[in-house]
Amino acid sequence: MAAEKTSGGTVLRRALRRQRARVVAGTVLLCTHQAAEALVPVAIAVIIDRAVATGDVGALLLSLAGLAVLFTVLAFAYRTGARLAYAALEQEAHLLRVEIARSALDPRGNRSGMRDGELLSVTASDAELSALVVRVAGLGAAALTAIVVAAVALLVVDVPLGLGVLVGVPLVVVALQRMAPLLSRRSAAQQEALAATTSLAVDLVSGLRVLRGIGAQGHAARRYAAASRHALDVTLRAATTKGLHLGLTTTVNGLLLAAVAGVAGWLAIQGRLTIGELVAVVGLAQFIAEPVQTLGYCVQLSAMARASAGRVARVLGAEPLTRSGSAAAPHPAPSRLALDTIGYAGLDGLCLRVGAGEVLGVLAHDPSEADALVALLSGRVPREDYRGTLYVDGVPAEGLHIDAVRGILLVEQHDVALFEGTLRANLAAGADADEAVLRAAVRAAAAEDVLAAHPHGIDRLLTERGANLSGGQRQRVGLARALAADPPVLVLHNPTTAVDAVTEALLAEGLASARAAAARGTVLITNSPALLRVTHRVVVIDRGRVVAEGPHEQLLAGDGRYRDEVLR
Amino acid sequence: MSVESTAATRQLLPTATARQTWAALRVEFVRLPGLSATAGTLLVAASATGLVAPWVLGRLVDDVIAGSDTPRIVAWAGVIAGAAVLAGVLTAIGAALTARLGETVLARLRERVLDRALHLPSATLERAGTGDLVARAGDDVAVVTNVIATSGPAFLGALLSIVLTATGLFALDWRLGLAGLAAAPAYAMALSWYLRRSVPYYARERVATGERAQVMAGALRGAATVRAYRTEDAHVGRIAHRSAAARDLSLEIFSLHMRLGLRMNRSEFVGLAAVLLVGFLLVRDDLATVGAATTAALYFHRLFNPIGLLLFQSDSVLQAGASLARLVGVTSLPGAASPDGCGPATPRRPGAAEPGGPGPATLEVVVDRHRYDDGPVVLRDVTLTLAPGERVALVGASGAGKSTLAGIAAGIIAPTRGAVSLRGVPLADLDEHRVRREIALISQEVHVFAGTLGDDLRLANPDATDAELTAALDLVGVTNWLRALPDGLDTRVGEGGRHLTAAQAQQLALARLVLADPAVAVLDEATAEAGSAGARDLDRAATAATEGRTTLIVAHRLSQAATADRIVVMEHGRVVEHGTHGQLLESGGGYSRLWRSWSTPGPVLAKGRDSEEPAAAPRRPLGVSPG
Repeated sequence: MAAEKTSGGTVLRRALRRQRARVVAGTVLLCTHQAAEALVPVAIAVIIDRAVATGDVGALLLSLAGLAVLFTVLAFAYRTGARLAYAALEQEAHLLRVEIARSALDPRGNRSGMRDGELLSVTASDAELSALVVRVAGLGAAALTAIVVAAVALLVVDVPLGLGVLVGVPLVVVALQRMAPLLSRRSAAQQEALAATTSLAVDLVSGLRVLRGIGAQGHAARRYAAASRHALDVTLRAATTKGLHLGLTTTVNGLLLAAVAGVAGWLAIQGRLTIGELVAVVGLAQFIAEPVQTLGYCVQLSAMARASAGRVARVLGAEPLTRSGSAAAPHPAPSRLALDTIGYAGLDGLCLRVGAGEVLGVLAHDPSEADALVALLSGRVPREDYRGTLYVDGVPAEGLHIDAVRGILLVEQHDVALFEGTLRANLAAGADADEAVLRAAVRAAAAEDVLAAHPHGIDRLLTERGANLSGGQRQRVGLARALAADPPVLVLHNPTTAVDAVTEALLAEGLASARAAAARGTVLITNSPALLRVTHRVVVIDRGRVVAEGPHEQLLAGDGRYRDEVLR
Repeated sequence: MSVESTAATRQLLPTATARQTWAALRVEFVRLPGLSATAGTLLVAASATGLVAPWVLGRLVDDVIAGSDTPRIVAWAGVIAGAAVLAGVLTAIGAALTARLGETVLARLRERVLDRALHLPSATLERAGTGDLVARAGDDVAVVTNVIATSGPAFLGALLSIVLTATGLFALDWRLGLAGLAAAPAYAMALSWYLRRSVPYYARERVATGERAQVMAGALRGAATVRAYRTEDAHVGRIAHRSAAARDLSLEIFSLHMRLGLRMNRSEFVGLAAVLLVGFLLVRDDLATVGAATTAALYFHRLFNPIGLLLFQSDSVLQAGASLARLVGVTSLPGAASPDGCGPATPRRPGAAEPGGPGPATLEVVVDRHRYDDGPVVLRDVTLTLAPGERVALVGASGAGKSTLAGIAAGIIAPTRGAVSLRGVPLADLDEHRVRREIALISQEVHVFAGTLGDDLRLANPDATDAELTAALDLVGVTNWLRALPDGLDTRVGEGGRHLTAAQAQQLALARLVLADPAVAVLDEATAEAGSAGARDLDRAATAATEGRTTLIVAHRLSQAATADRIVVMEHGRVVEHGTHGQLLESGGGYSRLWRSWSTPGPVLAKGRDSEEPAAAPRRPLGVSPG
């Protein structure tokens, strides 16, 4: 998919192609339904003409039976047709959602340039709106069918009158549509104001504890009331416009009916129309407005589908951020991870080596340089964007397959991301980890309180993003997860910023012993003295390169700036 | 919001009964008597004028059969046209007035809901959490608003149309009216069949759609972690699974709609056939004209749309009713205890004595025992007295009871046994709003309010000038950051705005504290989340923001503790050490060991563990490894 050039049009055409069987069958049935709907007023007219007006019992029974058949066809055609069309829509939206998710989570990254919020709205609403194209196909064809059937019926009754109706009704519909921009502007303003009040309410109540902390509930309530009044004003303006439109529609449709009834009545007294034909013409004139409006609606829908498909295509067609090499994982080397004269963002000629069995501390005086280092090690930087070489077990990383790199090097982010699910699933992170391993990792990360505080222990449920844990608990669970994964090289970035000093001291000890195995390499990017104490060696980065290195105690004793940075 | 917390809050926040809901609505409509009466009358009149055209058409048919002349036909056409103009005018004004009535009542209701929700007593809030409140203030209000704005008027119009058309049928001929009613049982059965099934379905669909969005959002926000642990397939699998579940549910609901549609078509046929059959019999026996039969058939045919609308909208109206009951439930909660609680906080400098009012504040905390519900005792025998303007730091491991003690000191949590007094007056004897303005708490929960930076800050003090806001921001050290913002105080922050780092969000919280200007400040891990670089700045900001206030601070970094006037060390819910930094260092207890391990070189940490001591591991020269 990503290989070929993807545009909104491609997405829409592919939707129609993928759902071809459902769309074709659904459209045929929906057309049948609309044709039957168009014939209902005709049927009423025929019954009045042939049975009610004549008193012929045989004709009555026959025509009622005909009406029954008409309703049966109408009902079943609609039921099956609409279901097929809807299934096509839902299935297509589902397929698009999964494709977008896969593309957004591509191991190599995604160059769509969209932020999380945008991506979310693409999966939530744009997938569905793009899929509307299959609905447009069915609805549009059905509406056209209804118009054709009604037109034929009208022309059979009387050509000039039929032509008058066929020209008049669309004219009236189009004329009323002229109010549409104003209507949609007003109702968009209304929707916006209402959505703003809703999100203000949600925002204020979500921050209720913060408001209460400073006694600001009364101020917040008044702010909401002001927003609510504004929304009311906007809503009333929209309601007035809507009322006006409704009134106009009522009047214009009524006037049209008066004209048709007058002309048809006049033709009837001239003997050019039967009673039945008179009733049929009046009924059809009222009926035909509906499919004409539906066609207008289809035009709007397809515009929406096209716009959304464009956004979907931006994600699906985006190039991956980085390229994967093809080599398999090399044998463990004495130097598990090495950076050779790296130039990227603030980094300028940075050289680093992490030996097997080593716990390396990295202190960056400028935090943005630490961020740049983490981004590079996380594989988020395209090869062309950095200079120098990143070696994994002695082999340049760009030559290795992405899974080989990820199998050796694990970076746990500072802003720990936990997922909705059990604590166990979060700790195992997709692996079939032994419970003993998980528990040992939790102990090493000094995170036992997360289990102990809960009746379900390790099987307790975490809500989205681990929101039911405190910041410190989240960090320690993230650390436990990284320790349980036991990667050959582990990189941690400021892993204890939300952890109190007492717990941090315990954790530092546990972390170092968990990573003590001979072949493992560990990088702690931090300026916490508790963590730096347990490293074998600390390198200090300033202005993009290493300016000092040595054991923590030595730097603490000899480097004033280091001391200031660490003992904040 | 977790399932368990939702279940718990549902029990804690009231839901009104149907009777209470109706009563509350009636009160609102009675408050607008003129508008209510006019809107109702216009709606009925507009609907009634809609009946003119089919009746005239029937008469037209009769006249044509009787062989009438052109002027009469023209007259009938004129009547239809006149009715159309009248109906249009009545509809336009009626719709506008009904909207004004409904929307005004709704706006008052939602404002009251928010006011009550925001003033939820601390005890209830601590137990209930904010989950259900957020759902009520957000979702429920949106559901009701949506129905009133979109389907409400149409629903009302359809209902009126049906009643009036049925009346019209009876006015035409009572036998034709009865024939039309023959369809009613079929419709009623279809409706009850549908409602029994659809309402639970909609609740399930909302849950399924929410879960789908949640799992997607979680994976996208944690994309770096998903990639690092090579779990893309597992996450895409979960997304696909939930998306498929939501899809299947939507299809089931649609199928339910279709089955309702089938039942409706059946009812339409029954009614139409009955009307035509009775019309046939009446015309044959000369009891009615062909025109009357035609009118009856046209009346019935024009009911198809309103009845369909009524049936299909019935569930959303029912849901709106359920949401309404939940909103009225919230409005039954006690409001702001004192009107003063709503007023702007009068700026108050600690030290500026006011008659009977606040001056330097002494805070006394005595907790014999505290436990949450039937849980274990989390605090025991804690006595803490903060002199006016004194800064006391709490130190201890996770779970030592620091946050609970902070909550009790701030008056958010009532101790199981014990009391907190401000200037010698127990908090229990003070109005909660007064307490909240005297004792500020900055908790672990960091929230940046959506809107401009100025809006966020003015929540603490709505009357603050731009200069005061800037001064508060200066005090907490965000000057440089503020200058870098494109629109200064008008920069949009929070949800949908500029993303603030954890440290910036905490500085903002401190600036709000400065603007709220309380006598006592309790800071619970308020500076903990900062990345390493900002930590020192945040410490400085916290010190500046609490200058001159009586302050209790839960210290995460020892540097924070070291600068406090006094330090209280807690362990397992008890105070194990207290004194000044110097005293504690001299006493040689746990605090002094911790301080030394943190601030001085050398392995001084107590070796309490069986594991290998990492700090003592042999050092290797650069790059050389055992292989």
